[in-house]
Amino acid sequence: MATRTRRVKHKDPAGQQERRKAIKKVPTGIVGLDEVVCGGLPAGRMTLLSGGAGSGKSLMALQSLLHSAGAGEPGILVLFEERAAAVRQNARSLGWDLATLERKNLLFLMDARVNPELVISGDFSVKGLLAILDHQAKAMGARRIVLDAVDTLLHLYDSPSRERHELYALHEWLLNRGLTTIMTVKTVQKEESPSRYAFLDFMADCVIHIDQRVTGQITTRRLRVVKYRGSGYGRNEYPFIIGENGINVVPITSNVLQHRSPGPHVSSGQAQLDGMLGGGYRRGTSILLAGSPGAGKTTLACSFAQAACQRGERVLYLNFEESPESMVSNMLSPGIVLAPLIKSGRLVIQSYLPEAMGAEEHLFHALNTLNEVHPQHLVVDAISACKRMGSEQAAFEYLMRVMNACKERGITCFYLNQAIGPDIVAEISGIGISSIIDTVVILCQLSIGGSMKRQLAIMKSRGSKHSDRFHEYRITDRGIDLVKA
Amino acid sequence: MINASKRAGNGAAVAGGKAYAFRLFVAGNESNSTQARGNLTQLCEEYLKGRYHIDIVDVLKDPAIALKHSVLLTPMLVMLKPRLGVSVLGNLGDTKKVIATLRLIGGER
Repeated sequence: MATRTRRVKHKDPAGQQERRKAIKKVPTGIVGLDEVVCGGLPAGRMTLLSGGAGSGKSLMALQSLLHSAGAGEPGILVLFEERAAAVRQNARSLGWDLATLERKNLLFLMDARVNPELVISGDFSVKGLLAILDHQAKAMGARRIVLDAVDTLLHLYDSPSRERHELYALHEWLLNRGLTTIMTVKTVQKEESPSRYAFLDFMADCVIHIDQRVTGQITTRRLRVVKYRGSGYGRNEYPFIIGENGINVVPITSNVLQHRSPGPHVSSGQAQLDGMLGGGYRRGTSILLAGSPGAGKTTLACSFAQAACQRGERVLYLNFEESPESMVSNMLSPGIVLAPLIKSGRLVIQSYLPEAMGAEEHLFHALNTLNEVHPQHLVVDAISACKRMGSEQAAFEYLMRVMNACKERGITCFYLNQAIGPDIVAEISGIGISSIIDTVVILCQLSIGGSMKRQLAIMKSRGSKHSDRFHEYRITDRGIDLVKA
Repeated sequence: MINASKRAGNGAAVAGGKAYAFRLFVAGNESNSTQARGNLTQLCEEYLKGRYHIDIVDVLKDPAIALKHSVLLTPMLVMLKPRLGVSVLGNLGDTKKVIATLRLIGGER
């Protein structure tokens, strides 16, 4: 009995290892997507990309095919709907040169559109297609194939069982040839026919659904991996954008918090405030500056930026409320001169209209800029404007991901939040992110005896001793000045 | 053997009727292809006796020609004469439709 138990124990890990042997994958080369599918699409098997018109499925398939072709793996693109010439032209607008790859025999575009005037009399099969593909794949040694808009072909059949049968024949052939396949199919609106191509989902080894939706007048594209036989995958919906050079899936927030611990103190640019904070802000932490309009949030952030730049550090300032020009000119009034800092390249100000694009596109730009500028500190002015990126949820995701990216890189993150109501403390929560903020500074304006009094308080400061009192301050032509109590 | 040609009758156009030429793309001896071959021959014998020509291309044996003509689906009947560009997909079992499409009855007969 004892021996048996031991044997079982001994056997199990080996068996598990055998089972855990990862399936072979082919990277798509699409930023972010390979992360979601844990390395790539299944090699020698079929992946289904389904989505509505204009969702970007054909582009995604093409981009992945080109990535392989660029790496020396020949591929075939079968176009059931689009003209080959149009595909070449559209690709050129993204800087992809199909013609060169075609000349090198790394890519073959097959015009497989069916003549719309074609008359159908009786049953038929896809044998011709298979024969052609077989011939072409052998001739060029193709390893990968994309069947774009396969639904167009299936529409010729008026019976669902025939559709299914022919598709199984096609699938069988693809598997026998060991071709890594991407098939794209247009999904029909739910009302029309819920399951016309549902069987495709069962057939394919990997299924990715893509959709394009409009929330708050802003269009966002998202993808979701529905299944992936033999592999793990990210199970959420991932936003993606079609940028200047193709599809970029917005990198996923890792499920592990890989944040660095707070760094040493760094001056707030205001000596008295440093005192209140127990020596300044902590490097690499997140700070929320909340206050009513005109309380001096931008001024406080700019005096920090100025001090940082003067120490030779770099600051990225994302402004959702005013242009760099107007910011530079407005900051002259409290005596902060930004122009030389910008000129030296230490201060980078980028202004965006929140509603100009979806939150994922904003995120993509923000992360890109972080990677280009390599700042030590980031200012987002103001997170209250981020709601205009679509929805509060979108703004929250944007801010969370920016903050995560900053924390992973040890970048100090300043979030400015505009609170309008009288109860400033209730409003500072800042789109629900306050719990993960390290330091909260609130600025309020009170009308006392016919004059406006400004007061500053530190609500919270993780890892630092800090003042627990409200401190009166003035905005002077030499910046923020705390009034001695 | 790549192309199987079949010439019926004396091959020359019979007075009073135009000459017809077809190319039929088939996939070996698969059932729809076999049926199409039979149906086409029967129609031709009935309506075009002595003035038709059928060129049979087996896409399994000659995929390059199928690619050149973008024939993905089989069987596919393509008319070469007297009008170019008329094609019928399928086993040609719906003879009425084939007759109408090829205009075997009517003006051109």
